[in-house]
Amino acid sequence: MIEHLIPEPEEWVEKYGDALFRFAVARIKDPSQAEELVQETFLAALRARKNFKGRSSPKTWLIAILKHKIIDHFRKKKPEVSRVDIERFSESGDHPFNKRGAWENRPAQWGANPGKIFEQKEFLDVFYQCLSGLPERIANAFILREVDGLDTEEICKILKITASNCWVMLYRARTHLRHCLERNWLEGKG
Amino acid sequence: MTGHWMFHCKDVSRKVSETMDRKLPFHHRILIRVHLMMCKYCARFRQQLLLLRKASRIDDLTGDARNQDLSLSVEARSRMKNALKSLNEH
Repeated sequence: MIEHLIPEPEEWVEKYGDALFRFAVARIKDPSQAEELVQETFLAALRARKNFKGRSSPKTWLIAILKHKIIDHFRKKKPEVSRVDIERFSESGDHPFNKRGAWENRPAQWGANPGKIFEQKEFLDVFYQCLSGLPERIANAFILREVDGLDTEEICKILKITASNCWVMLYRARTHLRHCLERNWLEGKG
Repeated sequence: MTGHWMFHCKDVSRKVSETMDRKLPFHHRILIRVHLMMCKYCARFRQQLLLLRKASRIDDLTGDARNQDLSLSVEARSRMKNALKSLNEH
């Protein structure tokens, strides 16, 4: 396996600044906010530099930190759509299914070519908003698993939960996200 | 569509999520696979969960491709460099 080395911090801005900035602008639109998040990312990365294990490239590592910052940013902004939507969804419990365990609200089709949905800007915007609207612990489990790619065992240690608890939380996160996207992205589009 | 064999759609939706986090016993995997072949909604659900995973793990593509000409301003660059420098010295 290739072990990646991270350059000295004084080179970071020139090497990775634009890529991080573009990534942030694509998601939060406001360039001055995006700049701020990039700066916070660099500073957080510097503080956490000894955690960089060389398993991914420095750019991937920095972008993972930036993703956390972007999610925090949305969380602070208290997104109107997704939070309300998810609360409503939670209140009605596991409502996608009827009493016999069959689909009540069937998953809709996400466009003719679902593989291409990431090319639609709105998809990722709504995705981040929905993510930031999840209840905190559930969002944390999801982020550790899907954004950071940790396995269940590691997540259990960090969140101090059992493995089966973790699987349930991930299931909740995924179903809520799926539902939130379907409502706010698909219906908004159509 | 109602459930098939021993798994209902509700069970399958949970199992589909779980297979993304751990390896299920062989007979569960077979039952799920059979169900997915017969139930397009569960199959669609699975495909969408995989898309959510992909969306979370995207590193650069859309942002980079769309904003190719965007770059940090000179002021922002120097501000960041200074911030890094002063934190590094502490």
